[in-house]
Amino acid sequence: MKKIALFASAMMMLLAVATFAAPKPVLFWTNFTPPFSDYLQKMVDTYNASQTAVQVKMVQVPGSETDVSKLMTAVRGGTGPDVYMLDRFTTAERAAAGVLTDLTPFIKKADPDMASKYLPFAWAESSFRGKTWSLPFDTDTRGLYYRSDLLKAAGIDITALDVKNGPITVDKLKEIAFKYNKTDSSGAYTQVGFIPQFNQGWHYTWGFAYGGKFADLKAGKVTPTDPGVVAGFQFMYDWSKAMGPQKVNTFLSTYNPPNNPPQQDPFITGKVAIVVTGDWQIATMAQYAPDAKYGVTYIPIPKAGDKPSTWAGGWSWTIPKGAKQTASAFDFIKWMAGPDGQKMYTQLSSHLPTIKALAEDASLFPGQHAFFQQTLSFASSRPALPVGGLFWDALTAAQNDVTDNVALPADALAKVIDKVQPQLNKFLPLQ
Amino acid sequence: MTRSTRRNLRNGLLFISPWLIGFLCLQVYPIFYSLQMSFTEYSGFGDMTNIGFQNYSNMFKDDLFWKSAYNTLYYTVLAVPIGVVVAIVLAIAMNQKVKEVPVYRAILYLPSILPVFALSLVWVVFLNPKFGLFNRLGSAIGLPTVDMLGDPAWTKFAIVLMAQLGAGGPALIFLAGLRGVPAEMLESAQIDGAGPVRRFFSITLPLITPVILYDIILGLAMGLQVFTQAYIITSGAIGGQGTAGPRNSLLFYVFYLYKTAFQYTQMGYASALAWVLFIVSVILALSVFKWAKSWVHYESE
Repeated sequence: MKKIALFASAMMMLLAVATFAAPKPVLFWTNFTPPFSDYLQKMVDTYNASQTAVQVKMVQVPGSETDVSKLMTAVRGGTGPDVYMLDRFTTAERAAAGVLTDLTPFIKKADPDMASKYLPFAWAESSFRGKTWSLPFDTDTRGLYYRSDLLKAAGIDITALDVKNGPITVDKLKEIAFKYNKTDSSGAYTQVGFIPQFNQGWHYTWGFAYGGKFADLKAGKVTPTDPGVVAGFQFMYDWSKAMGPQKVNTFLSTYNPPNNPPQQDPFITGKVAIVVTGDWQIATMAQYAPDAKYGVTYIPIPKAGDKPSTWAGGWSWTIPKGAKQTASAFDFIKWMAGPDGQKMYTQLSSHLPTIKALAEDASLFPGQHAFFQQTLSFASSRPALPVGGLFWDALTAAQNDVTDNVALPADALAKVIDKVQPQLNKFLPLQ
Repeated sequence: MTRSTRRNLRNGLLFISPWLIGFLCLQVYPIFYSLQMSFTEYSGFGDMTNIGFQNYSNMFKDDLFWKSAYNTLYYTVLAVPIGVVVAIVLAIAMNQKVKEVPVYRAILYLPSILPVFALSLVWVVFLNPKFGLFNRLGSAIGLPTVDMLGDPAWTKFAIVLMAQLGAGGPALIFLAGLRGVPAEMLESAQIDGAGPVRRFFSITLPLITPVILYDIILGLAMGLQVFTQAYIITSGAIGGQGTAGPRNSLLFYVFYLYKTAFQYTQMGYASALAWVLFIVSVILALSVFKWAKSWVHYESE
């Protein structure tokens, strides 16, 4: 804690010195790290060069999807930035806490028609209680990646994984994945086919795959005990049981320890042959494993004939409370979240745009990227709750208990309601 | 009060006023502000809503509160005694009568000046089940592989082990204590035929009990507030992890407090958590002092 405070005050002092020189640039904070922060810097440079009225200074700050401590303390202390990037599904949460500036008047003035230009789900995530608190940036969807080179070399038939044959069932996937598992003399895995909870195999991923609903916004209720969600958790429970929960943990501690650098990701090193992850993996593979051969298909379906599923996330642009240059800041975020900015980010990061016009531009989605663009048509999204971060953490704790086989899905998920619903009740009604 | 003592008092207060003002504004005021917050529902922005003792009563129903309290006590109960023993052993090593003792002291102290941040990242590599030195050494002497950071049964012990690398600081204080043990007492014991072990337990140890008490109190305060290592090793309990270590086994009390305040924006509840920690710390410290009366030996007595 002391270290963080020290770091924060050092940063503030630096900022004070930096902002002393006139004219004042718009201060933009992001918690992105390379390579994504490099992409943003390129975009900021392009924006700065495109006009002379507003100049933006980008600063990397500590934080994450759900951790905005630095923003909170700075805004409270009156030293916050003019622009901050938020994981879009947390917009409602931060708006409810009072950290954000209402963007509705700015939008009315700039382009009353703005909402209709964005994908509806993204705009909905940016709204809370009829007002707009952020401008949608990118989106992303999840799919099943498989290392065709490694699976073939192991003599495994992978025709069922080919996207042309439609989505693979979880049973067929299990058959393929378990053939790739290998253990050393002590019984520890040295390579595995597939681990459901690894990478983007979240509660949401499997809950949606089994047709689950996580919340009823109209009724103001979280619904983690929905049969679909429970079934998704049961799938993870059974898979873990078949592989040995602690053996899976040890495998992940070995090949995917905390703070693992991207070039040592087990999918890149070939320790894991099949993984659920997002569209950004295309850019990651090109950068860190240009020679690896891989394919992309739908997230597995429970049984033949089921519809495929995925979920879409993405970031957004906000103006925190107490921002000093709101008009210039809005001009900047309008550009970043607008057609020019989103086009640039799509090409740099292999994420997906949330602007309808860009979504129809096939030239933006070369190769495998087109697959993800097409999955957006059936993608779900996380419920935009003012307790989104808490809900996420509670679901993750439940998932952890289930994959470790120490709790049954229904029991673990019932606990999530106990934890989250009382907090949600404070914000009712939601609509 | 005469005029001159009054003047002295005024001047004295003026001279320490930088500290005094800082103490009042940056310590006393926040302490009472957090007490006020602990009775409210507050996000950190907007208005506080008074809810009486509800934050405190909610704690009993919050299983993460119990989990984090358990984790923290578990850690403290292990880390404090182990820390005392390791620090004394280091101090004895630093106190050997050899020519190169300054070099040895420097080497033994060196790990203590490593920043926790860097140390935590090294620790992750050190404890890797397959490639880490820890398990390599273990398997060389026939021990089974232990997944220290992936198995909830072991994670807290991994942090306890890591804390021992910071034993250099307390060891210096113990060293000062060891130097204070009168040589003539040790010599006369030696003449009476006491071996080194007997001399240590019958003379040295009783004479450094005040330092041990000091170290226990300090270790207790630090142990109950353990945060940084867990925060870094679990990458802030976000991203690839999502929980604070496997099954929240590294969710220490202050870590939970931090998440409550800044991730879930429940400043009121977080303040209540902080006050409970404060009260428990005071009670524990007082009980240690009380217990210490039976074994601490002050020379002046």
